[in-house]
Amino acid sequence: MKRAKRAVRGRFDFVDVTLRDAHQCLWQTRMSTAMMTPILGAIDRAGYAYINILGGAVFDVCVRYLHENPWERVKLLCSRLATPCDALTRGQSLYTFELFPDDIVALNSQVFARLGVKVLTVYDALNDNRNIESSVASGHDAGMKVNAMMTYTLSPVHTDAYYVERTRELVQLKADFISIKDPTGLLTPERGRTLFPAVVRAAGRVPLKLHSHCQSGLAPEVYEIAIESGFRFGYTASEPLANDASLPATEDIGARARRLGCRSSLDAKALQEVAGYFTCVAEREGKPLGKIARYDPALYQHQIPGGMISNLRYQLQTMQLEHRLPEILEEVPRVREDLGYPIVVSPFAQYIVTQATLNVVQGERYKTIPDEIRKYALGYYGRLAAQPSDEFLERAAIRPEDAVTERPGEHLEASVPRLRKKLGAGVSDEDLLLAAFYAPPLLEPLKKPAPAFAFRTTPLHELIRYLGSRSDIEYARIRFAGTEMTLSA
Amino acid sequence: MRNENLTYEDVLRIVELVKSTRFSEFRLKVGEIEVHLRRTNGAAPQQEPAAPPVAVAIEPGTAAPARGSERQFPPDVVLVRSPMVGTFYRAAAPDAAPFVQVGQHVEPDTTVCIIEVMKLMNSIPADTRGVVSEFLVENGAYVEYAQALMVIRPDPEAG
Repeated sequence: MKRAKRAVRGRFDFVDVTLRDAHQCLWQTRMSTAMMTPILGAIDRAGYAYINILGGAVFDVCVRYLHENPWERVKLLCSRLATPCDALTRGQSLYTFELFPDDIVALNSQVFARLGVKVLTVYDALNDNRNIESSVASGHDAGMKVNAMMTYTLSPVHTDAYYVERTRELVQLKADFISIKDPTGLLTPERGRTLFPAVVRAAGRVPLKLHSHCQSGLAPEVYEIAIESGFRFGYTASEPLANDASLPATEDIGARARRLGCRSSLDAKALQEVAGYFTCVAEREGKPLGKIARYDPALYQHQIPGGMISNLRYQLQTMQLEHRLPEILEEVPRVREDLGYPIVVSPFAQYIVTQATLNVVQGERYKTIPDEIRKYALGYYGRLAAQPSDEFLERAAIRPEDAVTERPGEHLEASVPRLRKKLGAGVSDEDLLLAAFYAPPLLEPLKKPAPAFAFRTTPLHELIRYLGSRSDIEYARIRFAGTEMTLSA
Repeated sequence: MRNENLTYEDVLRIVELVKSTRFSEFRLKVGEIEVHLRRTNGAAPQQEPAAPPVAVAIEPGTAAPARGSERQFPPDVVLVRSPMVGTFYRAAAPDAAPFVQVGQHVEPDTTVCIIEVMKLMNSIPADTRGVVSEFLVENGAYVEYAQALMVIRPDPEAG
């Protein structure tokens, strides 16, 4: 059916994810602070309403793989960017998949605010909004705005009414923004046409943001529906780091918003500079550029993010079980149904895939049930979207009276006083939090001093850096506009 | 290429040219830009290997003995076997006491060990009433599917 484009009046603004989710999806979260600093000035001029700088995986990869202190990055980016910065946590789990007590969550909010974060974005992977209560309250107490996200998924229980109900809860919690987060790119324009207006109505005066990935290739169309339905913000990335498993390109959604009659503050020249810079960085670092994904109907069946399938294939290879992959992918939706339709995101994606693998490899369903899955089914991590199947409950030996009904944060004892005592009264809040999240050996490499960062660059400079990074070039002479430079190995 | 300003587009065009030629000497002069490169044998550029996947990685591991080479056990004992390829743990945490010791009596639902599979912990029950007589694997070892983990001597059948 042909749809008449409806002119939308008003603004549609953008939240940049280039420094966070974009490289999480395309560069395995390996964008270092040094890759960011030279282009911060241009990102600031690009006209974004907010810049998302932190999320669970970024925090974790900083510590484990880049050996950078994530707090130092947050502080540096917040001080260098005039555009307000947005930092994301997984609610009661913060950056990991464990649950932390309320006092750790509150201290994290205080540290954010002190480092200059203006918007705390928070979600719970079960959409159990009791798990974000302590984040919302402590974020507000610390003077930040709070953007609460609800995660989109496909299942018989995740109906429009379900999301309207979650939206009402978030309005009740006094969220300053409400976002729909679609981590696997499962939203379609058709679903958007019913879901978005319903959520906009339920949100009342609270502005909505859309955060959708491009695995199915449909995200740009979905963003148009969101704009038409009254969403006020869209999360997007600089073009070289957009599309594929990442989010849509700012340039693309900006053009679509303009065509729909919306104003924004985007600056095409600054966006072009940012895109040029990151394309050069990708060349130098051997990182891929995002390509537009093809529509893949199978995605809507198993819903497993692309990165996770390649991971599973790799693991099955190490067990010499690669030939069972098709059976496992078929078992995935059945396990998900048995478990009450958890959303296929971390950590539940892993639960589903691991249980499906056990079921197939052992040749008997639910012969072995990982302890975490049992805890999930008991409600230890939060409310389930639907009741698990009788077959599963029986095999897991779970009786109705075993169910955990209190808010997950309730069963965790305060740990700030204990950690302060252990680490000494002089310990900084930042170090105390790191000690709450990681074992001491993991924190050791973070003590090395940060390198001197470059805060400006030019295309000529990037050309020289590129040539310098190639080990096969032994001599290079570049002359440009009265400048001459010779590099020699 | 414009003369007044070197742009990122210009840089990327030069990068493409450098990447696509196999010659050891490269000179380019367009407008005010002049690039002269020499490289060893015109060899292919060395790409950094892609980083390994982040989310879940299994240690390729010290190979465990295949099932075929398994030692023979008397017919009256019960072997607890691993449900999957994974890591064997005797305790719930590094500083916790082991679930069971040699000589200890176990019930069928007694947890005797944990097998970590894809970062998830699987409590393994004894499945037999009897006495633990031997551990066949070291704590922290990588174990194969169906590998024998420990030996339990079952209680004599009552009545």
